[in-house]
Amino acid sequence: MLKNRVIPCLLLQNQGLVKTIRFKEPKYVGDPINAIRIFNEKEVDELIFLDIIASKVGRSPNFEILQNIVGECFMPLCYGGGISRLEDIQKIFSLGVEKISINSFALKNIDFIKQASEIFGSQSIVVTIDVKKNFLEKYKVYDHTRNKITDIDPVEFAITTQEMGAGEILLNSVDRDGTQGGYDIDLITKITNVLSIPVIAMGGAGKIDDFVDAVKKGNASAVAAGSMFVFHGKHRAVLITYPEYQELEKRLV
Amino acid sequence: MEQGNYQICSRCVMDTTAQEITFDENGVCSFCHFFDEKIKPDWHRDKSGYQKLQKIVKKIKDYGKNKEYDCIIGISGGVDSSYLTYFAKKILGLRPLVFHVDGGWNSELAVKNIENLIKKLDIDLFTYVVDWEEMRDLQLAFFKSGVANQDVPQDHAFFAMLYKYATQYNIKYVLTGGNLATESILPASWGYNAMDLKHLKAVHKCFGQVKLKTFPTVNFFQYYFYYPYIKGMVIVRPLNYIPYVKSEAMQFLEKEVGWRYYGCKHGESRFTNFFQTYFLPVRFGYDKRKAHLSSLILAGQMTRDEALKELQRPLCDEKAIEEEKIFVSKKLGITVDKFETFLTMPKKTFKDYPSNYRLLQLLRLISDIKRQVRYKWLK
Ligand SMILES: [Zn+2]
Repeated sequence: MLKNRVIPCLLLQNQGLVKTIRFKEPKYVGDPINAIRIFNEKEVDELIFLDIIASKVGRSPNFEILQNIVGECFMPLCYGGGISRLEDIQKIFSLGVEKISINSFALKNIDFIKQASEIFGSQSIVVTIDVKKNFLEKYKVYDHTRNKITDIDPVEFAITTQEMGAGEILLNSVDRDGTQGGYDIDLITKITNVLSIPVIAMGGAGKIDDFVDAVKKGNASAVAAGSMFVFHGKHRAVLITYPEYQELEKRLV
Repeated sequence: MEQGNYQICSRCVMDTTAQEITFDENGVCSFCHFFDEKIKPDWHRDKSGYQKLQKIVKKIKDYGKNKEYDCIIGISGGVDSSYLTYFAKKILGLRPLVFHVDGGWNSELAVKNIENLIKKLDIDLFTYVVDWEEMRDLQLAFFKSGVANQDVPQDHAFFAMLYKYATQYNIKYVLTGGNLATESILPASWGYNAMDLKHLKAVHKCFGQVKLKTFPTVNFFQYYFYYPYIKGMVIVRPLNYIPYVKSEAMQFLEKEVGWRYYGCKHGESRFTNFFQTYFLPVRFGYDKRKAHLSSLILAGQMTRDEALKELQRPLCDEKAIEEEKIFVSKKLGITVDKFETFLTMPKKTFKDYPSNYRLLQLLRLISDIKRQVRYKWLK
């Protein structure tokens, strides 16, 4: 295992996988089962799987798809999307998922994090925080279910989620999403400076150097990426890739 | 095929599992005769072939002047298209755009091969991902129809999209890895024209449930008239002009671009591999290796004894194929039990469904003439 995990993040929209740019323009990239099979064979350490529609339309996770995915997945899986009930979490874990991620529901009901982490253990509860700059160029938490920038300060919110028992933060920059221009190191540093729990950096990865920056400059414990692992070249051709393990090992020491 | 009437060609390894096969008094089959009479005279793998190819290459380069790309290559991750890409860029000096259609069955080996190839050759890649829900529904419809040509959905989408993009990006020359060295024999009775949209739609109408909204199609008019005559699209098969030897090409690619061979377990398309090594032989008794090996014999790249020996080997690893059966069923959204019924249900042919077969037969007559003309033009 690498010292800093490098995690592909796949976005589910209805039945298929998509990849967005700044949370918009979802481009279809294929069938989840096949993508997971390919990542399996590439011996990826961990996988994040987010249903980007469930919370938006107010439905529970699609357990049928989830079951199919888990059945194919040889590596630890973190699932997020549409989780708003403890029963849902119970069911997801019973399918064999290792971690769950709570995003928009944490904005509505922060106590839910506390309940979930008390029952299921902090190590399995991830909180995903989407951050977007407002018109004053200030970092704010973004609520994707309402397509809205909230008034919530991400640093304070991250501290609260840690206090509530979250075991890990998945920190996502909306402005960098899908751009492949590098992580928002400033944002990552702000959050890692105040937290003791691990932070996974997400949003903007385009090359291995970006991973190195997030880890070395931003102190992220892990890095996640979407576009970088599903697109190739200037035509954004859909091609599932993952860096050679040795290459990562060499760079992320 | 009736028991007792079995016969195998004395020159190649084609046999009576191909219904249309006939034999002469020496036991040489009709495929061999077709090869000798129709294919061989026009097939030059020597210096003269290469010179002809150079002429075509010059045309392509002239056409592509001031353009970002001068030709387009459809790639699967398999050996033929991979080698073609290398050959086109490095040896012929062309500037191809590489195009890949993802039908939802890519293996890790296929995507890794494509990745290695385009990175090492510094070639631009363009992809189209077929909507899986539509693909799944269409493939399931084909299984339910009971016909042998289960490769139709993949093949149709591939070429429909390749031609569409070629014209959309104003690229006139389409290079394909299709080659006579490995594919000169292909019994018509073992499959059916994947480009017959009428047939595809008819099967889907009978057994499909999901509306085909985005599935790429090409109709009769486009395929036989619009693309070649209005858009002037030209299909070139460069591997037919050189002494192409598949095994050598594989070794070469392994060394040069880190290409990896897909054994029995993983095909470039997991579906095609499963279909050819399991479904087709088990359900219909068609062993595509016979056509492939016979092609190699006729190309002078294998002896008949070697081919017979090769045929003795099992088509696939039994344990691996059982795993693949589970995977295929899951991908299609059905139980393995349901899939098993597809293996035993009454056999159907394309003739049981509407198609453009008659029209195509008529067209074959015309295209024979057309081909003669085109060869002359290329000469
Ligand atoms: Zn023969």
